[in-house]
Amino acid sequence: MYAYNQFDQTLVDQRVDQYRDQTHRYLAGEIPEDEFRVLRLMNGLYIQRLAPMLRVAIPYGLMKSEQLRVLAQISRTYDKGYGHFTTRQNMQFNWPTLESVPDILADLAKVQMHAIQTSGACIRNTTTDPFAGVSADEIEDTRPWCELIRQWSTLHPEFAYLPRKFKIAVSGSSSDRAASQVHDIGLHLYRNEAGEMGFEVLVGGGLGRTPVIGKTVRQFLEPQELLSYLDAVLRVYNLNGRRDNKYKARIKILVNAVGINAFAEMVEAEWQLIKGKELRLPDAEIERVKGFFKAPDYLSTEYAALTESDLEGAFAEHPQFATWYRQNTRDHKQPGYRIVIVGLKNQLQAPGDVSHQQMDGIAALADEFSFAELRSTHDQNLVLADVAQRDLLSLWLKLQGLGMARANVGTLTDMINCPGLDFCSLANAETLILSRQINETFDDMDYQYELGEIQLKISGCINACGHHHVGHIGILGVEKGGKQVYQFSLGGSASNDASLGKILGRSIDQDQVVVVLGKILDVYVQLRETDETFLKLVRRVGFAPFKERVYGTHQRSAA
Amino acid sequence: MALIKDQQLSISHAVTPDVRFIDWLNNSPTQGDSVLTNGEDDLPSLLASANKLAMIAIEFGTFADGRGFSMARMLRRDGYQGEIRAVGDVAMDRIDFMQRVGFNAFELRDDQDAAQALTKLGEVSVHFQPSADGKGPAYMT
Repeated sequence: MYAYNQFDQTLVDQRVDQYRDQTHRYLAGEIPEDEFRVLRLMNGLYIQRLAPMLRVAIPYGLMKSEQLRVLAQISRTYDKGYGHFTTRQNMQFNWPTLESVPDILADLAKVQMHAIQTSGACIRNTTTDPFAGVSADEIEDTRPWCELIRQWSTLHPEFAYLPRKFKIAVSGSSSDRAASQVHDIGLHLYRNEAGEMGFEVLVGGGLGRTPVIGKTVRQFLEPQELLSYLDAVLRVYNLNGRRDNKYKARIKILVNAVGINAFAEMVEAEWQLIKGKELRLPDAEIERVKGFFKAPDYLSTEYAALTESDLEGAFAEHPQFATWYRQNTRDHKQPGYRIVIVGLKNQLQAPGDVSHQQMDGIAALADEFSFAELRSTHDQNLVLADVAQRDLLSLWLKLQGLGMARANVGTLTDMINCPGLDFCSLANAETLILSRQINETFDDMDYQYELGEIQLKISGCINACGHHHVGHIGILGVEKGGKQVYQFSLGGSASNDASLGKILGRSIDQDQVVVVLGKILDVYVQLRETDETFLKLVRRVGFAPFKERVYGTHQRSAA
Repeated sequence: MALIKDQQLSISHAVTPDVRFIDWLNNSPTQGDSVLTNGEDDLPSLLASANKLAMIAIEFGTFADGRGFSMARMLRRDGYQGEIRAVGDVAMDRIDFMQRVGFNAFELRDDQDAAQALTKLGEVSVHFQPSADGKGPAYMT
């Protein structure tokens, strides 16, 4: 993975000093509250309901084991011994003090990490496919491009005070695992008919109050001009995005207001002035950055691979291992290797939460089995990307010891969940209680396997950090008359077939959420055809049977 | 109101103009004038007539209004050589970025310590992207 040179290190170190001075001046009363708020947000520091929250950047979700160890150490020293992985591949600490943040940032800087631009109205951490570079269905590795975007966007002087936050996601596979269609900019790396590699550029996607699927603003972008094109989009947005109403300030509102064609023309006019100039990436620079993402030293296939009969033997001896292999590992492009998803969705912890012992434990497993690297995913799990088949059984046994071998990846309980009212000052409703209830009610794993792939996404307010709009089943917590109630939506997706879920009907009381969820799943089980996923069924049969099952009785009794 | 100009505390300098760009444009613009503008003005018109202006003061109504950053960047990109002065809600924590995009003068908010503010210019000394200051990462030089 990318390693800092002196240049990167100087920038991060000086940024720590700068923020230390800002914190000092704020505590001395020299920076007004509202102004410090913006300065601390650009360093990832929120003030939550109970304590500050610090969001640490994990650029495109890629980490070394030593970095995860430092995150574990930070959670012990400055927090309560755990961290939380977000849908944007970052890590949040929920309990640091404001005064300790400069020290935390200094600790992070020692292992080439920071919290720069993890919040605020600026360009945020760029995210990508957690299987980049290893997936069997990959067209092109996205990581070098993410790194180039990281560098260009870091402390960009012109785009630090945008109308609103700005998120970029990059996908380079036939399956979009980066939710790129619901980002301010989505980049699809692909080869055109002439065989040239380039980007399709989407703009104006996003969730929140006004969920929108991104629209293509440029069908094919020559990769050398990636940064000039991004610069042009950002300049058009910075000058023209609304600043009078923060709920209408995202780029999607601008794109919808002027129309995608007019917006594309605005970008094109600006781009013509800057393309081919200083932001054009020299091939040598692209190659230099690509050099950081070369494939690791894989074992020869005969040594790494298990024979079919060895694998069957291990499955026969450990049926749970067989299940875990099926649910939690994926095809690797290197023969003899598997991608292993380490789920952060067990029954005892909030989705995405990880204890300091688990962090140290996973770091050790990454050292032992996966070239000392790991990744965080959009759906709040971790990935060991390069595991030899012959190591899978040992790895699985060790994951069991950490309580991290639950074979539920892709199932109902592998849900995305924002922290909700337990932590967040924006939330209207609790969400963590729902994940607990769902885990307690649907604890039969065989039932979950029978249901197949279901993406359940839960948000505690309209800001949609839990991405409920694009859940196959989405749940949105709202407050009505002082009571927390929950609105179900069905049929959303953040994958290639991206769509926004539609609201099923009136809101449900907190203690009825699992009951309603059970009814929705019942309808699916009753009506599905062979191999029909939940999402496909919703698209085929529509809402009527679900409405009837969930609300029918109530409506009759009310009548 | 303290003014930093060309990386020094300035003692004698032109006052900040109070003529708004649009009024100047509509009333016989003269070579060597100075104007006050902000993100609400028509940027193409400003760019088209900038070469007549000795000073362009870009106003930040609130510190969160980032339009002025792009305005300065585009003025310098077009070759504007005169003074670009940041006025309004201008504090030491933003002048480094302002200098990078092309401002060369900063009329600091009343609560700001000018000597301290001077130390903020170049506080982060390395840059990942080119800007009006001509400084960028190694591969661009």
